[in-house]
Amino acid sequence: MSSSDAFASMIYRQLKRWWNNRSRVVMTVLNPLLWMVFLGLGWGGIFSPQSIPTAPGIPNMPSVADVIVKAIENYFKQLFGGVDYVTFMITGIVVMSAFMASFISGISVIWDKQFGFLKETLVASAPRSVVILGRIVGDGIVAAIQSLLIVLVSLLLTNNINLVNTPIAILYVFIMTLGFTALGTTISLKFSSMEGFQMVVNLITMPLIFMSGVFYPPTTMPEWMKWIAKFNPLTYSVHAVRYWLAGANAGFEYMNPLTDLAILIAFTSLMLVTAVKTFEKTTVED
Amino acid sequence: MSEIIVVENLVKRFKDVVAVNGVSFTIRKGEIFALLGPNGAGKTTTIHIIATLLRPTSGIVLVAGYDAVKNADEVRKRIGVVFQDPSLDNQLSAYDNMYIHGRLNGLRGRELHEKITKLLELVELKEYAHKKVMYFSGGMRRRLEIARSLLHEPEILILDEPTIGLDPQSRAKIWDYIKYLKKEFNMTILMTTHYMDEAEELAHRIAIMDKGKVLAMGTAEELKSMLGQDVIYVTLKKISDDNNLCKLFDFVKACNMLDGNRLELVVDDASKALPEVFRVVSLNSLQVAEASYRRPTLNEVFLHLTGRELRDSLEQPSVPQRRRVRGFR
Ligand SMILES: Nc1ncnc2c1ncn2[C@@H]1O[C@H](COP(=O)(O)OP(=O)(O)O)[C@@H](O)[C@H]1O
Ligand SMILES: [Mg+2]
Repeated sequence: MSSSDAFASMIYRQLKRWWNNRSRVVMTVLNPLLWMVFLGLGWGGIFSPQSIPTAPGIPNMPSVADVIVKAIENYFKQLFGGVDYVTFMITGIVVMSAFMASFISGISVIWDKQFGFLKETLVASAPRSVVILGRIVGDGIVAAIQSLLIVLVSLLLTNNINLVNTPIAILYVFIMTLGFTALGTTISLKFSSMEGFQMVVNLITMPLIFMSGVFYPPTTMPEWMKWIAKFNPLTYSVHAVRYWLAGANAGFEYMNPLTDLAILIAFTSLMLVTAVKTFEKTTVED
Repeated sequence: MSEIIVVENLVKRFKDVVAVNGVSFTIRKGEIFALLGPNGAGKTTTIHIIATLLRPTSGIVLVAGYDAVKNADEVRKRIGVVFQDPSLDNQLSAYDNMYIHGRLNGLRGRELHEKITKLLELVELKEYAHKKVMYFSGGMRRRLEIARSLLHEPEILILDEPTIGLDPQSRAKIWDYIKYLKKEFNMTILMTTHYMDEAEELAHRIAIMDKGKVLAMGTAEELKSMLGQDVIYVTLKKISDDNNLCKLFDFVKACNMLDGNRLELVVDDASKALPEVFRVVSLNSLQVAEASYRRPTLNEVFLHLTGRELRDSLEQPSVPQRRRVRGFR
């Protein structure tokens, strides 16, 4: 029998569940949009100082205020990797929402434990490795589609998005989500209660988001935070996606799209192997 | 090879309970074999180990010659399982549940579609094929699960309490399917139940389980013939200090003290033996509170083996364990 069938059927299942739950589909796009609008536009004004009152200057000469405004603008642009804050923030939120979505999709494993469907996948004829990989890839595809929708929505707020490079950016997002879905899956195979998982989710996701460069560049972080950010896979996907979507380069000196890719692939492979090993050993006792 | 499932000295210990305590049996190809016993007897645990969902503490389980621990993949290719607790995806339609199961178990395309249609028709769910399972009744879900387990025509079908909690009509229907499967595909079926009538109606051989052990095994006839023709039950009024009341009844084929001042007397013809029983009782200045006799059924066999009625043990469900995921035993 063909393993690709089992693989495809799990992808189908994850997609179908997502699609059947359309109100959730709307929420997954609406939620990041709210972040973008209020945080992005709210802070955006602060970092682009058009609002400095201009003193009456000598005609045909740039006023001192104008020079200061330009300097401040340049300073922030440099800080945000060459783009304005709105663009900086929006590109970060694209990654953040994919990260949250993928990590949380691990929750569906706990649902399946509670509703019993997990047993159905545990006794299938297909190798367990194939079954779990299909499931993770299915969730990864969902997260990638959501990210694409969010990128499209973000076009309303900024015109600095490079649509030609968007597919490349989504590919990075996809690779990252496989890794975090696998991590979420592994954790929830080990937890039997929803509350336990919720706690782990909050304990892991919040710090990872704040130490990844979604809201502020990692270069401005205090040393200890920088240190953690360097070990945070999310940092590399945020950097790379920002690079491909907006041409921004806000990260540590050694970071570039290729090192980002290498690190993400290494992380994701490790997580996938862990998830497969865990699923192969799963019993109904855990 | 006619022995398709071999279980030898199986033990399963959870943290604080021994759920299965040295169980052995073999199932022949094409046979319907039932594990009969009250809640908490260890039936589900045994079945989960055979289905590769639990690792045994010790003992051997072979399915079609493959070790259920070392060759779990090979075992899974040969079995179909209907679990005691629901295992459907409620957010998907009946058709999608079937479809995903088919693809997970090596079916595809036209063949898969036709089988799904045929099976949904068999369990009378065809018109609900595209409704989400969350809107189904308990009986409909059970029938869907049975249909799903048949999709890939497994060599061995494992049914854990197939009719638990169902109304009489649904029960009868499911019995019919099980008989049909045996006749049509000569499937080997391993089932568990706590209904004696179900075991008697369906199974070729029955293993009576209680507290993690198999107490007796055989056809329903063989089990009942352990007791002879008739069984008289006499409950005495006063508690006698003499715990060897049996020696008074030297004319019966077998005598057994049960719980609560109750005597079990096995005789050839109860209508002839009863007057003699009353005579002996009053001769020894004892009083009869209650007397009855029955043709032995599996219930009497269970009573004989454990001193408890199977029905009584059903009233008190097994002690709930610490918090565990609901529906995940
Ligand atoms: N995962 C588990 N953890 C701890 N105890 C369990 C677990 N599963 C079953 N048990 C206990 O093992 C015993 C046998 O249960 P089970 O096999 O479900 O019996 P049955 O199916 O015959 O009702 C019961 O006492 C039950 O509470
Ligand atoms: Mg059970």
